[in-house]
Order: sequence, then C-alpha cells, then structure tokens
Amino acid sequence: MLSGLRKTVAATFMKECPLQYNYFPCGLAKGNRTMSLVQVSSNKCSGGYQKVFEHDSTELKCKMKVAVYLPPKAENEKCPVFYWLSGLTCTEQNFITKAGSQQAASEHGIIIVAPDTSPRGCNIEGEDESWDFGTGAGFYVNATQEPWKTNYCMYTYVTEELPRLINTNFPADPEKMSISGHSMGGHGALICALKNPGKYKAVSAFAPICNPIQCAWGQKAFSGYLGEDKKTWEAYDATVLAASYSGPQLDILIDQGRDDQFLSASQLLPDNLIAACSEKKIPVVFRLQPGYDHSYFFIYSFITDHIKHHAKFLNA
Amino acid sequence: DGHDDVFEEHKESEVRGGSFLLCLQDKVNNIRTKLEEKVVEMENFAGHLEEIFLTVEENFGRQEQHLEQHCNDVLQTLSHRYDERAAALGEEKKKKLEALYTQLLGCGRTLDASKDLIETAQELYRTEDKRLFLQEKPDLTLVTPLEFDMPLADLSDVKTMMDSINIVPAPSAPVINPQVSNSATRTSLRVCWSLFSDDSVEYYELYYRPVLEDTPAVKETHCSVGELLPNVQYEFWVTATNTTGISPASEKAVYVTVPSPPVIRQRECSSCPEAALIRWESGNTNPVDSYTVELIETGTDGQSGVTESIVAVPTCESLIQLESGRQYLIYVRAVNIGGPSDRSQAFTVSTTGTVFHLLQDTAHPCLSISEDGFSMFYGDEELPLSAMTFDDNTFARCVAVLGDLIPVRGRHYWEVELDEDTEYRIGVAYEDTQRNSYLGGANTSWCMRHVLTPSRHKYEFLHSGWSPDIRITVNPVRIGLSLNYERGILSFFNVELEQHLYTFYCSFQRYVHPCFALDNPGALTVHTGVEAPGYVHLV
Repeated sequence: MLSGLRKTVAATFMKECPLQYNYFPCGLAKGNRTMSLVQVSSNKCSGGYQKVFEHDSTELKCKMKVAVYLPPKAENEKCPVFYWLSGLTCTEQNFITKAGSQQAASEHGIIIVAPDTSPRGCNIEGEDESWDFGTGAGFYVNATQEPWKTNYCMYTYVTEELPRLINTNFPADPEKMSISGHSMGGHGALICALKNPGKYKAVSAFAPICNPIQCAWGQKAFSGYLGEDKKTWEAYDATVLAASYSGPQLDILIDQGRDDQFLSASQLLPDNLIAACSEKKIPVVFRLQPGYDHSYFFIYSFITDHIKHHAKFLNA
Repeated sequence: DGHDDVFEEHKESEVRGGSFLLCLQDKVNNIRTKLEEKVVEMENFAGHLEEIFLTVEENFGRQEQHLEQHCNDVLQTLSHRYDERAAALGEEKKKKLEALYTQLLGCGRTLDASKDLIETAQELYRTEDKRLFLQEKPDLTLVTPLEFDMPLADLSDVKTMMDSINIVPAPSAPVINPQVSNSATRTSLRVCWSLFSDDSVEYYELYYRPVLEDTPAVKETHCSVGELLPNVQYEFWVTATNTTGISPASEKAVYVTVPSPPVIRQRECSSCPEAALIRWESGNTNPVDSYTVELIETGTDGQSGVTESIVAVPTCESLIQLESGRQYLIYVRAVNIGGPSDRSQAFTVSTTGTVFHLLQDTAHPCLSISEDGFSMFYGDEELPLSAMTFDDNTFARCVAVLGDLIPVRGRHYWEVELDEDTEYRIGVAYEDTQRNSYLGGANTSWCMRHVLTPSRHKYEFLHSGWSPDIRITVNPVRIGLSLNYERGILSFFNVELEQHLYTFYCSFQRYVHPCFALDNPGALTVHTGVEAPGYVHLV
C-alpha cells in the first residue's frame, strides 16, 4: 500500500511541475535515478541561464560534465537544441566561456548543449600521454580497440545518450536538433549529420577536420581507437561519408580561418570535402576568412552567423 | 734658632714674597682694569664712528635724489618752453605765407583784367568808327503772329447720326462668354454669348480662326462648332445683325478643345510592394496644363473599388503609394482649361514583388534583349567594332545592362535564371557607374560573379574589385537577389535549395539599379514580380 501511495504522489508531482522536477538531484520515480543530472553551476547570461551539469554516463561508464544554455524562451515553451562539439584538449568550459554564443541563442530561442570531448578519470594507461589522443581527444568515434573500447564511445554518447538526457530533463523539442563544432568537433558534427540522415535539421562547422584518414591527427587517433584496418576508419570520415551520402538535403556552412596553422599543416583538408560534396551535389557554402586563425577568437567572430543559419531550420 | 730664622726668613720672604706677589697682582689687576676700560672706550668710539658713517651716507643719498629731481624738473620746463615757442613760430609762418599767396592771386586777376581791357582798347583803336560799338541794337520783333488759324470742322457723321436718330439702331456687339469648363470635347466646342440689352437682333454670325467658309447664321445665343483639332486654341467672335445692319464684332474669346488622352509607356513603368512608378507620353503636340492619374483597386473577384484620383501632376510621371499584395488599374488623363481628356489605356499593376524593366539604352551593343524585355543574349558572333554604336549611356567594355528599379527605399527581390555554365555578373550598381568599367570592379557596384575554369566553377562576390574566398558545391541555376535599403544589405540565394550564398553589407548613398552582365556568350532571364520567400528576410 505504501509503495502505491508513493507512486501516486510521484505521478501527481510529475504532472504538476513537468519542467521543474528534474532539476532536483533525487528522481522521485524509480527509473530516473540513472538519468539524474546534478547541477554544478548556473550563471544568468543574456536573459537565460548558462548551466553545467554532471551525470553518470552509461555509454562512457564515468561521470561526464555537460554545459547547457537555456534561453529565456525555455521558461515557457519547448525550444530546439543546438549541439556543439568542441575540439582537441577542450572541456565543456571552453565554448561557454569563450565563444560568445549565448546572445544569439537567447535571441533565437535555442538551447545549446556542449558536452566534454572525451571520457575523464577512467585511469586508462596512456590516456594523458598526448594532447591529440586519449583524454580531451575522443574524436567522436566508438573505439573498438583495447584499452579504449570500454569507455571511448563518444559517437553513441553524442548521438544517443546525450539527446535522451536532454529531452528528458529540459524543455527540448525532440524533433528539432542541429549540430556544429570546431576542429575535431567540426569533424564530429559532420560525421554525425552524414551518418544520421534527417536526424539533424542543420549542420555547420568551424575549421573542421574534413578528411581524418588522410591527416596525421586522424591517422593517429583512428589507429589507436579503431585498429589498423583502414576500412573501419572510413565510417568516421566526413569526406568518405559525403561521397556516399543519400538522405534529405543538407545545407552545410563551413568557416575556415585562412591563417590557421593547422590548415597549412594539412590537418584539416577542406578541399577534399568540397570536391566530394561538389561531386555528390551536397550544398555547402565554405568561407575562407582572411586573417583568422584556429582559436576561439575565430569562433567568436562567426558564431552568430552559424546560429542564424541553424535557426533558419530549427525555427522553421 | 737657625731654624726659626730660616723659618722666619722663609716667613719673611714668604711674607715679602707674598706681599710682592700681592703687589704684582694688584698692578696686574690695575693694568687689566685700565685695559678693559680702554677697550670699552674704543668700542664706544667704533660704535660712534659707525653711526656717523651711516648718517653721512643717508644724507648724501638724499642730496643726490634732490639734485636729480630738481634737474629733471628744470629739463622738463625747458622742453615745454621750446615746444610752445616753436609752435608759435610755425603758426606765424603759416599766416604770413597765406596772406602773401592771396595777394599773389589778386595780382594775377588784376593782370588778366588789365590784359582784356588793353585788347579791347587796341581793337577799338583799329576800327574806323570808334563809336560803332555803341550801335548794337536788341531784336524787338514778335515771334508769333497775332491772328488765329481756324481749321474747318467736319460735321458729316453728326449729320448722319441726327438723320438716323429715329431709326432702330444696329445692334451693339454681343458679349461673347468665356469658355465654360468641361464643356469641350476633343473635336468640338460650344460657344456661348449674350445680347446687349435693348438690341433687336435678327441673327448672329460666329467667326473663328481659321476663318469659316460659310459662317453659320444662328438665332440662338450659342453654337457648337465641330471638326476641330484636340488641344488647340481657337479665337471666337460674334456679330449680331438686324435690318439696319451688322453690329461691330464682339471681343475675341479664346476657347480650347480638350486634349487627347496620354499613352502610358508600359516598358518604363516599375513597381514594388509599396509603390508604382508610372510614366507616359503626353499624347498631344501642344503642351497641356497638367495630368490626372486615376487608380482603382481590383479585388480578387475582378470587382473594382473606388477610383482614387491624383490631380495636378505636372510632369509625365508619377510615383504612387500603394498597398502590398493587391492589384490596381491605372489610367491617366491630360487636362487643360477645356477639361480633362478621356482615359488612357489601362495599365495593370500588381504589388507582389518588385517589377522593373531592362534599360535598353544602357545595354552593350553585343547584348540583345528579347521582345518581352526580360531575357538577354550575348551571341557567339563577333560583331565588328564599327557595327557597334556606343553612346554615353551604353556599357562599352562589360557586356552589361541596367534595370530600371523603382526608387523606393523598401525591400526588393528578383530572380535570375541561367545555365550553370553561364559566366555572369549579377547584382546592383549606382546609375552613374562608369560605363567603361566592369561590374564589381569599382565601389559603385556589387555583384556575384561566376567564372568557369577548366577545373572548377569559381564564385566571387565583387565590390571595389575585391571578393571574399567562398566555395559553393552546388552550382545555382536560379539565383534570388534580395535588396534591403533600410538594413543596407544585398543577399544572394540559390532559390532551388533555399540556400543563402552571400550577403554584402553596404550603406547605399543613393538608389541603385539591378545590373546584369555576361562575361562570355550565353543568356540569362530576369524574373520580376516574384514575392520574396520567407527565408530571404532571415539574413
């Protein structure tokens, strides 16, 4: 009888405040305990709130932090969600403190979700040896090799676990998602969109790694996470995926700094992606911005254009 | 007691020594005292000397001052005296000179008078009769005669009048009325006049220039005259006739026929969602006074609404404010004092999207424009330079043409259709952009340019000769251009994909014109009157 009463109370409570209850650390319904978010910080910003949460990830088997910006519109209505994937060495902090995205997100009524770039504190041997492999360098793939395969499943985390988490805990419109990112995160955004036709209503990228199987970064990461069989790498390469894409029409916006040291170091290879998209008639507008480098100053300069681009599709 | 003696000697010597010492001491003391006194005296003396020194110094100082002052006074007084005396001397000199000069003048005159006298006397002396000069007589005759000259009076007309005093007079000139407004037509006029009271009249005859062959004799005080020319001034005058005779002609009145209707120049009209610019030809050889523009909104069911008139339009064009998303019929009438002409042919305006035409005058000779004026072709054949006629207004290098965009500061949108291999430049330019420059090369034009290289398609967005570095993967075949004066932007879209390509942020100093150019043989078609899609305004 007591458990029945508890269930009724829980049901009533959930009905009364559908948006609020999930902000409390203890879920009242039994199943929610695994999806619980703990708020780490909250700052009012551009009329909305920039929050950071921590949760136990089932895919990554560790605690993960994720930054969530809630625009003013979220107090009353469901909002579309813009997923941002950061680049090498970043955490969930870099984007929210340096990119200046909150103003545009507030104006267009969009929730921005920025996860971390890899699992953390897993105590895997060698995870902190390099800045471009292991910690802070998840490459948004599902690793198949030891010792990475248990934890390094960033692809599934971003495309499945995170959206579930967000849709359950926030006033998010589950039909309106879009994805973007910088550098390794740009690569992540492109592959997530190309591998999931129709899932993301818009996609864009800043200085993305367009053809990882052809550049030093990609080769190092993929051989570590996926093994030596290059066939398995192709599933995570935007240029290869574009050449065989079939699905709803995309409209990809890419900004690239012309003075980006990694562009001249042949790590990014945008020409290859452009050639593949021209061949396959995938609409891309690629802008080479003179004077800009690889830093967050570059992202700050054009983030508003990108959010406007996404808003066109998310608010349609 | 030797001892004692010595002792006593000692004592004595001691005493003597003692008293000697005492004496010495006394003496020394005395001397010392005296010396001290002396020192004091000397000090006092020195003090006195110092005082005297100071006093002397002071006194001499004062003496010097006095002397200096006294001498200065003396000098000043002397200087004054000098000035006075010198001035007095100067005055006297002046007076004396003036007196002498006056005397000199007097002498001169006396000399002249004397000279004259001598000459007269000499002359007299030479003549025979020295008394002749006394004989000069004044003229005493009368200038005018005393009699009056009387002309004969002509009294014949008085006689005539006296004779006809009892007969009915011929009528007085009728009074011709000025033209009643709106009584005229293109080819006929109705002339009215009135009778001078008390006249008896048998009939009237109406004359006008050009002079009538058979002047109609009418009994009424009005007459309609037909077969006239439109918008021409005619002079009319009337005579009234009775048995006695014909009246003098009335004063001449000028009547004007109504003008012919104007002709709307369809190809020179443009519109946008908020307004329409209508241009027409007068339709008359002679000038008219003004024009009236009439507009009627036609509903979706074809029903017409109220006619709105804009009167007193002075020139052959009119910019009319309208509501967006409607259809209107527009007519123009020419107006003179005779009245308004008939309506011109109707012109339909639809305030959906922006409508404009290509300005044929600006087209490069190699560019041919289609019949409907919306397509342009750059043919393969090389035209020899001599066959091409250029003037100040045509593009001479860039094979380009301008469009006649309505000068309204709103949002405009049009589309361009072409092949993906066509090499073109499309955008906007100021009307005064150099005709011998390439579109996008100067700061007077903004355009999207497509270049086809052997390896790929290259897209540029040119202004002042500079373009950002942009790659586009799907070649557009239908491009939407959105111009927003308020925000100062010009955006380009791939219409089929609804894809935003690029936006210029510019502040337009004046109105711009759409511009189109073909860099190589090819063709393009302009689509106007298209409503801007929603995504266009999200930029």
